Amino acid sequence: MNAKLASRSGRLAGGWVVTAVFCFPIYLAVVNAFKANAQIKSDPLGLPNPFTFSNVITALSRPDHLIQTGLVNSVVITSATVALLIPLSSATSLWLFERSARVKGILTGIFALGLMIPPQVGLQPTVQVLKAMGLMNTYPGLVLVGISGGYFAFAVFVYVGFLHTVPKEILDSARVDGAGDLRVWWSIVMPLMRPATITVAIFVGLWTWNDFLGPLIILGPTQGQTITVAMYLSLGASAVSTDYGQVYAITLIAALIPLIAYLFCQREFVAGLTSGAAKG
Amino acid sequence: MASRPRKRRKALGGLAPIAFISLGLYTLWVIYPVFASATLSLTDARTNRQTMSFVGLENYTRMFSDPRLGRTFAFTLIVTILVTLVSNVGGVLFAMMLNNQAKNYKVMRTLAFIPQVLSGVVVAFMWRMMFNQNGLINSSALKYGWLDAPINWLGTREMATFCVCVTVAWASTAFCTVVYMAGLQSVPPELMDAARVDGAGPIKRFFNVTWPMLAPATTTCVVLGLIGALKLYDILAVLTSGGPANSTNSLAYYVIAVAFGNGHTGYGAALGILLLVLTAAVSAIATRILRKRETNL
Repeated sequence: MNAKLASRSGRLAGGWVVTAVFCFPIYLAVVNAFKANAQIKSDPLGLPNPFTFSNVITALSRPDHLIQTGLVNSVVITSATVALLIPLSSATSLWLFERSARVKGILTGIFALGLMIPPQVGLQPTVQVLKAMGLMNTYPGLVLVGISGGYFAFAVFVYVGFLHTVPKEILDSARVDGAGDLRVWWSIVMPLMRPATITVAIFVGLWTWNDFLGPLIILGPTQGQTITVAMYLSLGASAVSTDYGQVYAITLIAALIPLIAYLFCQREFVAGLTSGAAKG
Repeated sequence: MASRPRKRRKALGGLAPIAFISLGLYTLWVIYPVFASATLSLTDARTNRQTMSFVGLENYTRMFSDPRLGRTFAFTLIVTILVTLVSNVGGVLFAMMLNNQAKNYKVMRTLAFIPQVLSGVVVAFMWRMMFNQNGLINSSALKYGWLDAPINWLGTREMATFCVCVTVAWASTAFCTVVYMAGLQSVPPELMDAARVDGAGPIKRFFNVTWPMLAPATTTCVVLGLIGALKLYDILAVLTSGGPANSTNSLAYYVIAVAFGNGHTGYGAALGILLLVLTAAVSAIATRILRKRETNL
């Protein structure tokens, strides 16, 4: 009995040590964001003493407001992308689900390609098309590319995968009432597909928020950028940054919203990540 | 009853307009750019001139005499293989360690999954601050006497390559842990009990029960890991910018540098097609091998 207890607490201790080592970079970013530069240099590993908000305040009082603008832009672009992608992809998925096996097979193959193609491959023609449409360096341009690229293919896989788990009788009975197709989709099937919608929203939201290459090229350096790119622009590409407090504070600000979302909806996040990953 | 499936086949035609708009957009932003890139790759197009002419396969033959491409290719393969290997082994072990219903383990899981929600830029800045010449690793190691002189982590070819691998592997280990954790929860406990009754030790139980049962999770982690590593951009941009001396310049990074940095549209497009072919080949081979393993269960 004692041996069993010892092995259990040994495992617990081991788990905590490995987790602590693994999360150490996160710990450093958090504690150092609230230290003065002098303490970061003299005592990089310790807790803030004294605790200070000066790094965060400095980051937020830049004359160009890069950080605030970046946060607002990221919120707007991410919300717009998710809000447009969900109806487009769910309707397409439901439509696709009702097609013949052949049409389904062909389109599924084409969507699978979209998941695999690295974004670098088609970026030059994408820029040319955006320029021709007058949408280069605009937010609508970035959102338009976001809702119809690889994210769209991913969403279709999640929705179609989910539709396979919905009993056929439910979809059938939905039609008997004589409701129009749009109503069947929006008022009957959409509520049923809620778990799939959550998965799509989490993944696409996270990817859009975290995307770097898309906004960097499509919005360009002169435009108001997303927080992810703004962080890169404000801290520079060079490995020599002297104001460590600034770097940590901006890192924390940039990570804050996804982090809070994750901590509050952890169950949905993990369920979404695992089911979504299996689809992708 | 029998006629209903036939009726349903034509159903939901009212959604066709939305579906066609979506398919049109998908064609415009995914399918067309690939073909347009393939076409561009056969021209001498540059951003700083208006005209372009057809040059056949010149951009592709040029790759063989490109002094940078050898190292770029080698670096891409090193990072892709090492990161996939490390994050899968680390992910399985970590998931097994955290697979427990007790409250403590729940908190550990919450912490361990955090890197999964951070952007590559955030992750890269966190590690850059540690690897810097006077960053946290050097300053702490000097302070506590673990090192006599600071290590130039990001300044030499080998060390910079190592640092990139560590950073990418860290983020992707968190992802694999999530996926393997879900896989572990689908292993029936009766199967483990049966193996235990048969007298199988923990190592034997792992290789004969757990690992084969995790085959679908492995497919997901390996294939997505390979694709993710091949298209990696943000971490490189922040951590090394491809340096020092071009040593951490991956193919995906080089495509952007040539196309948007140097403005060599044609050659950049050709490198993009090379990246596409490489990604397609790697993911097709990996999927085929791993799916076979799944069916052998």
